[in-house]
Amino acid sequence: MVFEQLTGNLFQGLVLGAVYGMATMGLSLIFGVLKVVNVGHGAFVMVGAFITFWLFSALGVNPIFAIPVAFVIGLGLGLFFYYTVIQRLIKAPELATLLATFSIGVLLQEVVKLIFGSEFRGYNWTVGKIDLGLTVLPVSKLLASLGSVGIAVLLYIWFNRTRAGSAMRSVVEDSEGARVCGVNVGAAYAWSFALGIGLTVTSGVLLTMFIPVGINPYMGGGYTLKAFVIAVLGGLSSPYGAFFGGLVFGLIENGSYTLFALLPGVEPFALTRFLSFLILLIILLIRPTGLLTRK
Amino acid sequence: MKKTAIIALGFFLLAFVAGQAPAQAADSIDIGHPACLSGKYAKAGEQAVGGIKACVDWVNNEYGGVSLKGKKVPLKYTYYDCESNKESVTSLIGRLVTVDKVDVVFAPYSSGLTLRGAPVTEARGMLYMDHGGANNKIFQQGFRYVVQTIGPASSYHRGTLDMIHKIDPKAKRVALAYEDSEFAKMVMEGAEEHAKELGFEIVFKRTYPKGVTDMTPLLSAMKASRPDFVLGGGHFEDGQLFNRQMADLDIDTNAFSLIAAATLPAFYDALEYMAEGVMGPSHWEYGVKYSEQAAKSAGTTWIGPSQDEFVALFKKAAGKDMVPDYHAAEAGAQVLAYALAVEKAGSVASDKVRKALGDLQFMSFYGGWDVDDSGLQIGHTMVDVQWQDGERIIVWPESAQTGKVCYPMPTFAEKAKGKVAVP
Repeated sequence: MVFEQLTGNLFQGLVLGAVYGMATMGLSLIFGVLKVVNVGHGAFVMVGAFITFWLFSALGVNPIFAIPVAFVIGLGLGLFFYYTVIQRLIKAPELATLLATFSIGVLLQEVVKLIFGSEFRGYNWTVGKIDLGLTVLPVSKLLASLGSVGIAVLLYIWFNRTRAGSAMRSVVEDSEGARVCGVNVGAAYAWSFALGIGLTVTSGVLLTMFIPVGINPYMGGGYTLKAFVIAVLGGLSSPYGAFFGGLVFGLIENGSYTLFALLPGVEPFALTRFLSFLILLIILLIRPTGLLTRK
Repeated sequence: MKKTAIIALGFFLLAFVAGQAPAQAADSIDIGHPACLSGKYAKAGEQAVGGIKACVDWVNNEYGGVSLKGKKVPLKYTYYDCESNKESVTSLIGRLVTVDKVDVVFAPYSSGLTLRGAPVTEARGMLYMDHGGANNKIFQQGFRYVVQTIGPASSYHRGTLDMIHKIDPKAKRVALAYEDSEFAKMVMEGAEEHAKELGFEIVFKRTYPKGVTDMTPLLSAMKASRPDFVLGGGHFEDGQLFNRQMADLDIDTNAFSLIAAATLPAFYDALEYMAEGVMGPSHWEYGVKYSEQAAKSAGTTWIGPSQDEFVALFKKAAGKDMVPDYHAAEAGAQVLAYALAVEKAGSVASDKVRKALGDLQFMSFYGGWDVDDSGLQIGHTMVDVQWQDGERIIVWPESAQTGKVCYPMPTFAEKAKGKVAVP
């Protein structure tokens, strides 16, 4: 029985982990290129969730078609906030960008609250389930997970097979060196920020395909916290590391629950969180650059 | 100089005579309220203010005012927005007592905010009436002036358990899964105690943290315990997630009851067919059968508007076509309790009104009202509602039923094919 539960939960964790990973790639990309910690990360996830909710509830648009819409809106938001706020603070002390991204997050929350109100909302998109014997998996969750993997692969190809991707990678490696080699560092900053926000808003769509309830202007806080753990786990400046970190985090969160449940007198959920942060602390101590980042 | 001294002496004598005159009833009896009109409890707070205004309107205009010292005295309601914020609650209570000089303070919504204000009113010897704080712990602190109208958290699932015990004697296995919060813990401690009294077996008991985003591991473990029915929840957001992921994992039980979430229309809006058959305890629902006739049959006093009159007064107070929910009803019933107690005490002094409240028993549109020595509500019975074909039906207690319960509820697979939870 325990083995069955453990296997089922690990599978669920892997599926969820892919979405978590995707939801963290934008954070890592922005930090990797601009060295800006986007504290307002969760608010952009929330924007993606509301785009999906609104398209589905008001216009009947399938959540899969919300993915490109959210990505384009995310790119637009990213460019807007880069040129109006971030560009002016890029050389300022880190605290300034921290406060700026925090403020952007609060601003987005309040704007969404003005439009949609503060109620918790949800939508109901059901496309069947797959009974795997050990667990039952809704097709919408599987699509969210496959979508996350697909986007991660596309990002990999774009980074490694295109000139723009190479330019961005060169800025991550050494921005001054890239500038000397003729890379337009300013444009690379702007598009990296926009791409990071685009990915984050898109992850909001995928997260609601996974969990289509609890959509609220303040829903992003929990995802910001998880994203930081995942980003550090995989390497704060590596989007692929973040994706890998998401998979590991999903496995830890779901798998450890079953094991902790075997201990008498403990609440497993409390211990899974404890374990996640313990692992984060250990990685910070022994490999502060993350598991997949070169020293 | 001599003229000034005579005038001063005249004022002194007038003041002395006024001080010796028999006490007169004031022009109004003042109710103060730090209300949650913004912040996380804004919805409940808006309902509470509407309910209070509706019943103040009824007392002043239908009842003719509160009888005090041979005079009919109107109620005056003063409220400020506490923004659902603990610090604001304490400062606003200070303002209401010292600047507005109110006669009674109505607590804000929620156990946490009610508890925060209690020491402030207690230190001033001011009556503090609780309509939105269900946590039993409020009444275990030794406060003398706190009096509850909402039912205590420990009683939330009593009706659900009594109902299942009656309609399905074979059902024995209960699962409890709830939010790791003070309120939900208190509800489930009460449920566990009552379940054991009725001979049920607790086969699963686990908590989940506030802000949980995925309950799959917990629900997988719960499924393995093969419960006959599930009691759970905490707040609205986790209740939505709980139901949704029960559906995702095909966890079918005979009954499923969620606190806080299941009674709200937004719950069904988000979950649609998945919410069919789901139950939830509620302090009050439109359709309950409390009436003057029911009070007579029960041998108790009736006061207040009828249910339909309350709804009309509430809409008038709210200024829009808003339907009152239990937050409004319990706040309104509190006004009626206070008015009756002042009449019985013949005074607005907190000590005397508190004593009168302790002896008071009555029925209103909200149901029964009676408190124990600690101020805890013991006279009010909760109702259980069930989603049946998209409508909230009161299924328990039998005396308040607007329809029969659908038990066992349809499975999630049946519901996905269009089966509704109609008995």
